[in-house]
Amino acid sequence: CAAMMQGQTSDWKIAGPCTFHRVVLKNASPHHYMKVHLELEDNSNRLSAVELKHFIIAGLKNLHGEVGAALNFDVLKYDEGSLTALLRVHSSGLVKLWSSLTLLGSYQNQSCAFRVLQVSPFLLALTGNSRELQLH
Amino acid sequence: MQDLSRCPRNLLVCERSSFQNEKNRVSAQVEQMHFNYKVSLLLPDCSSAPSHLDETLKSFNSFYLIKKLPIYKLLNENFLRSAIYNGSVYGLSHQTRIDEDNCVSLMPNGILTLSLDKDSFELLGFEGKPSRFNHRRCSRFVVTVNLTDSCMAPGRRNYLRLLEGLKSRLPLQTDFLLSHHPGGGASLHPLLSCCDWSEHQPEVKFRSLTNVSFPVPESCDPHSFLQWLGAVESGVSGENSSNSFLSSLICPEPKTQTNCALSACVSGMLLPQDIQRLIGQLRSADGTHSKHVGVGLVCDSPVSQESPGAGPVLGGADSSRFRGQPRVLGRERAWISSRRRELLQPADVPRPHLPPSLGCRRTRCLPTVMPLTHQNQEN
Amino acid sequence: MVRVKSRYLLCEVNVSESRDLLLLDDRAVAGAVRSAVARMHGDYGAALCSIRLSVKYLNVHNGMVFLRFPKSCYQLLWSALPFITNIESRGQQIPCFLNCLHVGGTIRTCQKFLIRYNTQQLQRILPKCKNAAEKDQVCQEILNCLPTRGSKPTYEGGSEFEDERE
Repeated sequence: CAAMMQGQTSDWKIAGPCTFHRVVLKNASPHHYMKVHLELEDNSNRLSAVELKHFIIAGLKNLHGEVGAALNFDVLKYDEGSLTALLRVHSSGLVKLWSSLTLLGSYQNQSCAFRVLQVSPFLLALTGNSRELQLH
Repeated sequence: MQDLSRCPRNLLVCERSSFQNEKNRVSAQVEQMHFNYKVSLLLPDCSSAPSHLDETLKSFNSFYLIKKLPIYKLLNENFLRSAIYNGSVYGLSHQTRIDEDNCVSLMPNGILTLSLDKDSFELLGFEGKPSRFNHRRCSRFVVTVNLTDSCMAPGRRNYLRLLEGLKSRLPLQTDFLLSHHPGGGASLHPLLSCCDWSEHQPEVKFRSLTNVSFPVPESCDPHSFLQWLGAVESGVSGENSSNSFLSSLICPEPKTQTNCALSACVSGMLLPQDIQRLIGQLRSADGTHSKHVGVGLVCDSPVSQESPGAGPVLGGADSSRFRGQPRVLGRERAWISSRRRELLQPADVPRPHLPPSLGCRRTRCLPTVMPLTHQNQEN
Repeated sequence: MVRVKSRYLLCEVNVSESRDLLLLDDRAVAGAVRSAVARMHGDYGAALCSIRLSVKYLNVHNGMVFLRFPKSCYQLLWSALPFITNIESRGQQIPCFLNCLHVGGTIRTCQKFLIRYNTQQLQRILPKCKNAAEKDQVCQEILNCLPTRGSKPTYEGGSEFEDERE
């Protein structure tokens, strides 16, 4: 199946610009993207992007040990003001990352929680969230 | 015990063709997406929006928000006659979460869909089906009613039963988004006149970008192209060194650099007809100053239907992307992709266990019994 | 009939000083496995260890160990075994490593494998014998190894996982 996929992808690349070409990729998404929001007990406390990533890695190490801490994930974007971050993780590590985010309960002795706002195999899908549509 | 490295199923269908190609299915695909939340465009080498595009984006049909609409009013005879039997109505409950609340949708083909939790479903006492999302535990039910059907005509038995159910047994009330094509507000008047409503215009946003790297579409696989497009849309930097601690996202090679680009997006409740119009506009767009045109379509609706008759997909989102490159070397091309996303929108509170979507999707490995029986036969 | 499925790992404890082996006991080996899994796989791994992990058999003379893991997660637990570098027993740190020889679905298949393995080891020793008396002794041991009760002396591999198909 993987070989077939490869073949399709290479066909895709060599296909001319004007011919019709269709590729169906099943469960082939290499990454998953998550939009998460960190809620802290003390709102005045601010984390930098590096601190956030370190915090998440610490959580991974707690729940999944050294194997979990070695998991590769990226902080694509982080907004210090709203404590919202876009994370990218290999599809195989999604469950580990998600579960350790769920179980992260305290940051520097104050309770905290990660809210997972959106998860998608496509980064484009995280640019809009219909649940955020506010009408007055 | 579950395998920790499994992730939810996903499917990506990519099509690349010219807009002129007869196999091109852009229009057919857009038509099938009834509830669209956001359309975004990326115009490279463009510092300000071309006037015709600007006009099209700003002329998207407005939609109506009705506060606390009792759902039985959707069965109002005058409303059925003026809106549902004539033209297409798009209706969707607002600020309801498909995994927690009761959701209602009204599709242009006259199909009213109620996605209800078990208690509400039993209270309503109307025929429905278990939700197809969770196969293991049946906790939600979907009631699908075709309002244009003859047995649902006002006064008929089914009609009265549903009306009675929604009026007395399950007095469902929710904020409701409504839009009508081609009549607009006039067709919806019978409903609006008796409710607290407001009119809203889709929100248009322009954002100019500088120094954007563009991958060459021919040498880029669909996933990395989509990733790049998403990164540009969400303002993620693609300039990372390989040893960066935070992120290793980069623009796929080979790439070209442009000085400026324009990102435009419209969000709100968008009608497929408006999106068709926009695509038509892009199709005939003058390519003198825009080298690439990309249209991103994010349709994210609590009740979203793939095709008529299919049950609502929980937290479903259909997305399509169109990518055209008008008149490069005198030719026009489009790159289309569409994809379906299964439930990936969690409830507000992260659950203290692994995502449930994984549990219900374990594929069964075929037992190795087959070859053994063959051996036995040979023996 | 349904039963709870397990995997039995036949491991060999390798130590530099063979008398260190005599200090080992079941609890020490289990503790070392648990701590290695907890280090490599965190709380999740530690929780998996608490299900049905046990040391079924320990031979302090040649360092053979039977470890029982739940079948559903034995690979994850197995992956932590190479990270065991010492076992603490009776207040002493014994530097060692575990070498996994066989994975079986039942203790019986593991035992069969162990007998076969030991026979092979004896046959390897045979040419190295220095005198006839030693040779005789090894030959006698080999003959003693052969399973009685009518089962075939040469072990046919291939069906170690008796409960593989479900």
